[in-house]
Amino acid sequence: MAQPRWEPVTFPLPIPSLRAVALLVPVLQGGPQTRLVSPPPDSVYQQVRPAMGTIAEITLFARNKHRAAELMEAAFGEIERVEASLSSYRAGSELNRLNQHAAHSPVTTDPEMFGLIERALDFSEMTQGAFDVTVGPLLKAWGFFGGAGHTPLAEELRAAREASGWKGVTLSPGDRSVQFLKPGLELDFGGMGKGWALDRAAAVLKDLGVDAALLGLGKSSYYAIGRPPEKPGWLVVIPDPNDPEEPLSCVYLEDGALSTSGSAERSFELDGQRYSHIIDPRTGQPSIGVIQVTVTAKTTTESDVYSTAIFVLGPDEAKNSLNDADGVSALLVMEEDRASPTVITLEWPERDAHPILIGGFGGCPGPSGI
Amino acid sequence: MKRRDFVRASAVAASSPFLGVDVVAETLSRTRVSPSDQVNLGVIGAGSRGKHMMRVFLRVPGVRVTALCDVYEPRFRESRQISGENTPTFVDYRRMLDASDDLDAVIVATPLSFHGEHMVASLERGLNVYGEKAMGFTVKDCDAIVAAAQASPGRFQTGLQYRYAPWYRQAIDRIRAGEIGRVTHVYGYWHRNYNWRRPVPEPSLERLINWRLYREYSGGLLAELGSHQIDVANWIFGEMPESVVGAGAVTFYPDGRETFDNVQAIFTYPSGGTHVFSSVIGNHKVGYQVNIYGTGGTIELTLEDGAFYYEPARANSAVPLELIEAGAHTSATLATRGDMPYRGPGLPIDVPEGEMGSPDLFAAAAFVESIRTDTRPFADEEVGRASAVAVALGNQATRGRERVDFPHGLEDTEGPS
Repeated sequence: MAQPRWEPVTFPLPIPSLRAVALLVPVLQGGPQTRLVSPPPDSVYQQVRPAMGTIAEITLFARNKHRAAELMEAAFGEIERVEASLSSYRAGSELNRLNQHAAHSPVTTDPEMFGLIERALDFSEMTQGAFDVTVGPLLKAWGFFGGAGHTPLAEELRAAREASGWKGVTLSPGDRSVQFLKPGLELDFGGMGKGWALDRAAAVLKDLGVDAALLGLGKSSYYAIGRPPEKPGWLVVIPDPNDPEEPLSCVYLEDGALSTSGSAERSFELDGQRYSHIIDPRTGQPSIGVIQVTVTAKTTTESDVYSTAIFVLGPDEAKNSLNDADGVSALLVMEEDRASPTVITLEWPERDAHPILIGGFGGCPGPSGI
Repeated sequence: MKRRDFVRASAVAASSPFLGVDVVAETLSRTRVSPSDQVNLGVIGAGSRGKHMMRVFLRVPGVRVTALCDVYEPRFRESRQISGENTPTFVDYRRMLDASDDLDAVIVATPLSFHGEHMVASLERGLNVYGEKAMGFTVKDCDAIVAAAQASPGRFQTGLQYRYAPWYRQAIDRIRAGEIGRVTHVYGYWHRNYNWRRPVPEPSLERLINWRLYREYSGGLLAELGSHQIDVANWIFGEMPESVVGAGAVTFYPDGRETFDNVQAIFTYPSGGTHVFSSVIGNHKVGYQVNIYGTGGTIELTLEDGAFYYEPARANSAVPLELIEAGAHTSATLATRGDMPYRGPGLPIDVPEGEMGSPDLFAAAAFVESIRTDTRPFADEEVGRASAVAVALGNQATRGRERVDFPHGLEDTEGPS
């Protein structure tokens, strides 16, 4: 009988890519002597799948490819589960059901969805509306919902502003019902859903005993479980938005999250002004002044939310309103001078802390130098 | 609620033999639920499917999860995140049934080989049961569940949720109206590309966590995946198969598993219909599909949508006169060239705005409404049995590489249409 052929769905990573936003190096733990008494060291595996309108990447340490495949399946399955509920592109999603009906009458939802909306409204309050889960109509008016962007007609913009605003959402914890106080209002988890999906997938992996993994969605959101053996953390490279080939800063993440908002590719120009794809929900206008924000936080839900909020708030306002945000630090790149961007940090940790900034701005370790 | 103390005869329930999508919409939009309509659910089997169905049921106004049962205690922490921190937990389902006076219904989402025991015990206590598919492990199990459901004041709904999917219902209605001529074949696929294993914290838990891979507990891919397509074929042909032949093997993952990772079964129906089902976990190009072939056209159904493809008009494309009266509807040309496969788009099944939704949620809402109005579920125990018996005999055929005839005396099981 012919030997059955294994078709691995997960590939060991031979060499990491230097220019990837996130990179890592496999390191074998234990010398020849310890190997006699210890199990063989874990290998590192990576898998990439389409998810949430972008690419999800998981890199983890596991004892063999079969274990890795099971862990990957469980983690990607959790991302898929969250997406099925939060997606605005899926006709049967729980989000679409709420958006269709909650303006007519209260809609009871499951505890997870209810809790997420509750948190979204709390974030809106904490950021004075700079993060707003009801920003969808404004994104559509500006053509940012899957489009390149255009200036809306005054009437379109007025209608979109009318239909948005987080204070138009009311929650009744007793029956877990959600109600919209105005027609046209809709929830959009674009600024938070990827973070929640990663936090959930990380929880699944931790429950399964994984102690070193990096999970990412769309290159903009990452969560690190533990750290690679003998490394200070999972290295995440933050690119210079004006020259994405050049690193601006590097961070070692350990049991923490990082999100980046804004980039050179996702913007459009009009009359010499560069507009980002991030709307200031308070004005209905694209946010200007900041071109990139990277935030680290304890959870990816928080880093997602705060990267958007700080982008909108700018450094001065962000400083004031983030006093209550526990464990959030930020690195902002300002528009002012394209040739040499102004970089502002808020609570950005010093060297040797986690996460740390290495070598000032501009110097990041390569694979051989870590 | 303590349902059967009340006499219910709502206008909707009286006028309809089963609860349709319109009623489900009403159930889901209720803003006030009186204490007598509150439904308390117990969950037997709080694994991945059990937890998913808890979430889904909690989207229905007036539903609480008031008891949890699982033999694997780590599940309790995860399930209580959904049901609430103080939900009572039980390791033995009998203790849960004894201790929980307030239960109206249970979700049974245990490994297949335990369905019979758990569902029959719950029905014998007069509880309503939402029983995951496949309904029973053996023909005997299925008969016992049907007998218990029919003797019980509780209602039984089988977890074949596509019975409640709007695009499936529309497809069936349009088949009945003759839109794709005489339907002779259903090709059902559920192909994936992964090892179908769950991670196990320690080797001693392998059979508990990965029960799907062991014949003692599991009907393998034919049960866990194929039961849906088998049900759709039963629904379309309006009867149970009369025989099945099959093939299967452990082709991709010879890792000690006992259930096949590569299964094909061909079911033949008394009226001449054929259902070819395939499930493979080494290639996922076709994913989940039910292709329904008629002399006048094809319907492709997926987990999220469906589309019609019409055959070029030929003498065999007999259609009812009503379609002529309805007039021609113009569209993009859907012609094929010779024997090349048709690779263009189909005509999507258009579900009206506001009626689209998750089949699981519609099935859950319909079950809750069945309890409140004491109405027979559309996907009742007969529907469940027809699919589960076909799974059991399909497995006998694939494992024994033989043709298996269905025993006489199994009644037709078409649901109301």
